[in-house]
Amino acid sequence: MSAARRLARELTKLHEHLPPGISVALAEGFQEWRMNIKVLDDNPIYAGETYQLLFRFGNSYPIEPPEVVFKQTPEHPIPLHPHVYSNGIICLDLLDRQGWSPVHNVESICVSLQSMLTGNTKRERPPGDEQFVRSNRSRPRDINFLFHDNDV
Amino acid sequence: MKVTIKQWNAVAAWRWDMPEDDMCGICRNPYDSTCSKCKFPGDECPLLIGECNHSFHMHCIYSWLRQEQSQEKCPMCRQPFKAKDANEQPSVVEQSNVVAAAG
Repeated sequence: MSAARRLARELTKLHEHLPPGISVALAEGFQEWRMNIKVLDDNPIYAGETYQLLFRFGNSYPIEPPEVVFKQTPEHPIPLHPHVYSNGIICLDLLDRQGWSPVHNVESICVSLQSMLTGNTKRERPPGDEQFVRSNRSRPRDINFLFHDNDV
Repeated sequence: MKVTIKQWNAVAAWRWDMPEDDMCGICRNPYDSTCSKCKFPGDECPLLIGECNHSFHMHCIYSWLRQEQSQEKCPMCRQPFKAKDANEQPSVVEQSNVVAAAG
């Protein structure tokens, strides 16, 4: 209930104004939204591609973080980044319980992920990607990420 | 001339003594509105200013601070959140009194 009220407000604001490169792909109801993001500078790793983020909100959003993953579709690949597994799971402190703050919102998460991609120069997956993708059955919120580098 | 007032309606407006157009960063509702759970704004859904000068609806900041992962820090600046003294908390200001007389 409180999550729905907060999300309704966010959606109104998103329809009025969106940061460059970010758009609402699907926002029906208050459980799952899809947002599209593009990297706007000429970083060759991401040139010409659009990525889709899948947001899942619990009833206690924004006290608890939403679950956010990149979603692969025929039009949307999974971006190559040392913090993005090839199944779309993202390792970013602000999405983790420890790094989350309830003043974040869908827009600020999109902007953070956009800038995480913009600043990246490595055409790499996280270490252990292949094994993680093969064996992981947990939802992102149940994974304890180990933040081993803070400079990417 | 003698005027007899048969009926009158008093209308009063109020707001919190806070900068206008500001909203609670947690629920994103205006300060003068309620948190996401309350129905009636005002004293039943008050604001709380921290020593860091960040303010929220009291219910919003409490539901955050109750979470273990908040580590009792302000959601804005991540300093330990401590409420300011009661006499420094925002109070309701009466903005205008409009009396509509009828009759």
